[in-house]
Amino acid sequence: MSKALIFRGRQDGWSVRVHPQLMAVCLGLLLLLCLSVLTSLSLGSHPTRLPDVVRVLLGADSLEGIRLILLEIRLPRVLVAVLAGGALGVAGLILQGLVRNPLASPDVIGITSGASTAAVFTLWLTGSAGTTSLLVPAAIAGAFGVTVLLVALTWKGGVSPTRLVLIGIGLAAGLSAITTLLLVISPDATAMTAYIWLTGSLYASRWGDVIGLAPIFITGLFLACAVARHLDLQALGDDLALAAGSNLNANRLVQLLLAVLLAGSAVAYTGALSFIGLLAPHMARRLVRTGHTGLTLMSALLGGLILVWADLAGRFLFMPRDLPAGLFVAGVGAPFFVFLLYRLRRQG
Amino acid sequence: MLNPFAFLSGKRLALPVFLLILIGAVSASEAPENTVTVKHALGKARISASPTRVVSLYQGATDTAVALGIEPVGAVESWTEKPFYRYIRPALTDVRVLGLETQPDLESIAWLDPDLIVAARNRHQAIYPLLRQIAPTVVIDDVYDFKTLLTLMAKATGKEQVGQCLLRHWQARTRDFRSRIQRKLGDAWPQEVAILSFRADHARIYYGGFARTVLDELGFSAPSAHRKDDWGIKLTSQESIPAMDAEAIFLFMQEDPAVKRTFREWTDHPLWQNLESVGSGEVYPVNPVLWNMGAGILAANLMLDEVYQHYGLANTLPTADLAC
Amino acid sequence: MLNPRTTKALCLLLSLGLVGTTLVASLILGQIPVSFHDLYASLFAYSPGDLRHLVIWSERVPRTLIALVVGAGLAVSGVLMQSLTRNPLASPGILGINAGALFFVVVGASLFSLTAPSQLIWLAFIGAGVAASLVYFLGHEPGRGISPVRIVLAGVALTAMFVSFAQGLLILNQERFESLLFWIAGSVSGRSLDAVSPLLPVIGVGLFLSLLLSRQLNLLGLDDELTQGLGMNVGQIRLLTGLLVILLAGTSVAIAGLIGFVGLIVPHIARGVVGPDHRWLVPASALIGGALLMGSDTLARLLIPPREVPIGVVTALMGTPLFLHLARRSGSRL
Repeated sequence: MSKALIFRGRQDGWSVRVHPQLMAVCLGLLLLLCLSVLTSLSLGSHPTRLPDVVRVLLGADSLEGIRLILLEIRLPRVLVAVLAGGALGVAGLILQGLVRNPLASPDVIGITSGASTAAVFTLWLTGSAGTTSLLVPAAIAGAFGVTVLLVALTWKGGVSPTRLVLIGIGLAAGLSAITTLLLVISPDATAMTAYIWLTGSLYASRWGDVIGLAPIFITGLFLACAVARHLDLQALGDDLALAAGSNLNANRLVQLLLAVLLAGSAVAYTGALSFIGLLAPHMARRLVRTGHTGLTLMSALLGGLILVWADLAGRFLFMPRDLPAGLFVAGVGAPFFVFLLYRLRRQG
Repeated sequence: MLNPFAFLSGKRLALPVFLLILIGAVSASEAPENTVTVKHALGKARISASPTRVVSLYQGATDTAVALGIEPVGAVESWTEKPFYRYIRPALTDVRVLGLETQPDLESIAWLDPDLIVAARNRHQAIYPLLRQIAPTVVIDDVYDFKTLLTLMAKATGKEQVGQCLLRHWQARTRDFRSRIQRKLGDAWPQEVAILSFRADHARIYYGGFARTVLDELGFSAPSAHRKDDWGIKLTSQESIPAMDAEAIFLFMQEDPAVKRTFREWTDHPLWQNLESVGSGEVYPVNPVLWNMGAGILAANLMLDEVYQHYGLANTLPTADLAC
Repeated sequence: MLNPRTTKALCLLLSLGLVGTTLVASLILGQIPVSFHDLYASLFAYSPGDLRHLVIWSERVPRTLIALVVGAGLAVSGVLMQSLTRNPLASPGILGINAGALFFVVVGASLFSLTAPSQLIWLAFIGAGVAASLVYFLGHEPGRGISPVRIVLAGVALTAMFVSFAQGLLILNQERFESLLFWIAGSVSGRSLDAVSPLLPVIGVGLFLSLLLSRQLNLLGLDDELTQGLGMNVGQIRLLTGLLVILLAGTSVAIAGLIGFVGLIVPHIARGVVGPDHRWLVPASALIGGALLMGSDTLARLLIPPREVPIGVVTALMGTPLFLHLARRSGSRL
């Protein structure tokens, strides 16, 4: 464990521990994120030079041609990637701490499935290719609805983590069947649009999406740092946590709700992105061994990074087609995860 | 802090701009000359007169643009026979392909700097605000309503003469068809027809859509079981074959070994042999592009040619491009 | 009071009765009304001109037969998987076998245009085998056998990987997408008997071998030291079981596409009825699985005629409440 710097308030009223290593990594990730954002802004069907990008961002009046593309098409999209990726990363971290299982993520326990079924249902009902105004509330409602069902079914005097995962898996499977049914009876174009939504895509992200997602992400991030202490305690096991005075059931509910808030809203805007909630926390843990506060910040940054690059790959590698970012997240993330498992296997 | 123009654009600008256009439309006498205001499914668009750079975001619009004598600067690619359907490919020599109809490449559209964008509500409603910022956009409500599309696009592009001519020509052709088929079939007219399609692992009946609309206009009727609000249904079991029955069947499918195999399996089945239309030999294979995908006035005319052919009627009126 | 053995035998008989009932129902019910008399006549006095006889033999019999065999295959593969991994959640869907089959089918269909049902079946079988081997390899701790948690983890990771690759190919290749949708959703209809007849006996063989292995399967639940003390070679039993799993699950998925829940739920139901002894569990699961799938198929074509609900949806809708109930009861004990 590296040395920590400790700042104390007057008369020890408060204290904050800061690990220099963690700070360095976080700053490094932040820098990497900014560079990735700028790279993503410069690439597209019409490459733009980096100096031009910077000039437009800083408010230049000229360069009309690329201003529209940069400010209305690329910038909102990249920002949504940062926010949604970060939200999913943090949600995954919270769930993994809640359930004490590295397998947990919003997709496994049914949150994403709830949002998906609600979204596909809305698409089937309206037959239109994704009117955001209806899809977003529907998806969020679906995510929360499933969570309510999840808690109701899991509650037996308390919330047991293993039961939560099991019931989550069951709900996810059941909802996935309903989604399949809807896909099968929909006309082709609706089915294809729904399928792309189910994979997770940032196509046609707008400023309205950024404005909707930003406050939720920022609030969620703050709250996540606040519950980080409880997650640290819970990681020691139920008995120790109870002995230390933790109100397990209440804490678990709060953590679950926070995870649903973050994951549900992210998915509502981008479609059912999976794997970021599974990957980002794992990568964070491998970078620095630290408590949940640090892990939360790193998961947020890593999640954003993953999605920014996945989105860039999707819109740049197969032009003029725009492939869903979700494909690349899973396509790269899943083999990586398999590789991780293989490594773990070696260590026994 | 970011560029203040970014703060003002997007959603915040949409409402004031919309109001402006509304006011502009109301006080039409004060509108600058050389602009046309067109009311469409999602609002109004003010377009400069005789736009030359037109972007088409769905198949029907590409078809109609070509019919009006305009080569679009950008168009979305077709579902089959990529990048553009063979029947209109000759007219599209210098057109930028914009990707899929459901996800057109927004950057390319912006870069083309168009004067007019034509889109469809059930495909592009989500990106309509973005499209409006790029160029005046006209949005069609129903992708299969090729006549409204023709009228709208004719007005938007300042080619109303051509548009009206094409419509009159179409009406003349339908009248001609009706009289000829009435003479040929006599009491058997109107005839009940079903529209079927075969895919690799299922078959379809179309209750609505482009072909159904055209056939209805020509006077054909449909089995009562096919008069539903849905687009149609997908059938996986051959037990459902009796649901396909009608006095005549038009069917289409892709050139694909898997599809052909399914078609053979279904048509070899005894239940198929029992169908009324099979018994009377009135099963007509037709071109899927014209009947299901083109969705514009040119496709409609070519589809009508096929119907004439199958019923053995003389097709004497001049073709659309010669008439107008 | 009846002794346990007799109770179990009675339960098996009841299951057999259930199979018989669902079999007849599957042959009789459907869009074209067929009476008992027609059924009897088509079996013993077949006349090719009679439409109803034709429907029975060309439509109903293949479906019923496939549903019966695939249902039994999936159920028994579920039993084997759960015993092998000591994880009550194990099933072809969760351990990635379905996903592997899906991926190979999509690759074959999109990249090599292999779309004939007979080709799809082989692709699915190979895919299932590859996935099962991978998941076993990843879930196996050297020296300690299969870790229940790790194998489920491996299954989830592999499922995500295969599904995402398959989805990518489908999105790039939209025409293929909508022609594979029904296979992906699971179906026992539209498969001609000639295409599947080589594979149905394979499942039969698998079921038979599982029955033979039942006594040894009971040992899989015990600790390794105990079994070694009893002189059994656990490694060999595990290997055989693994191979049987690939055989049963792979072939089932190959024939009928992705049908979930049967491999997950039926072992639990069967366990509730006849207990954990594999000598009773395997046959009971096979029977209940067959009955369940035949019943689901019948339901699938009666709900929204002339359309059919994909059979995977029916099994899921039936299986989910059951699964949730089970998870609620036993969750804390895992």
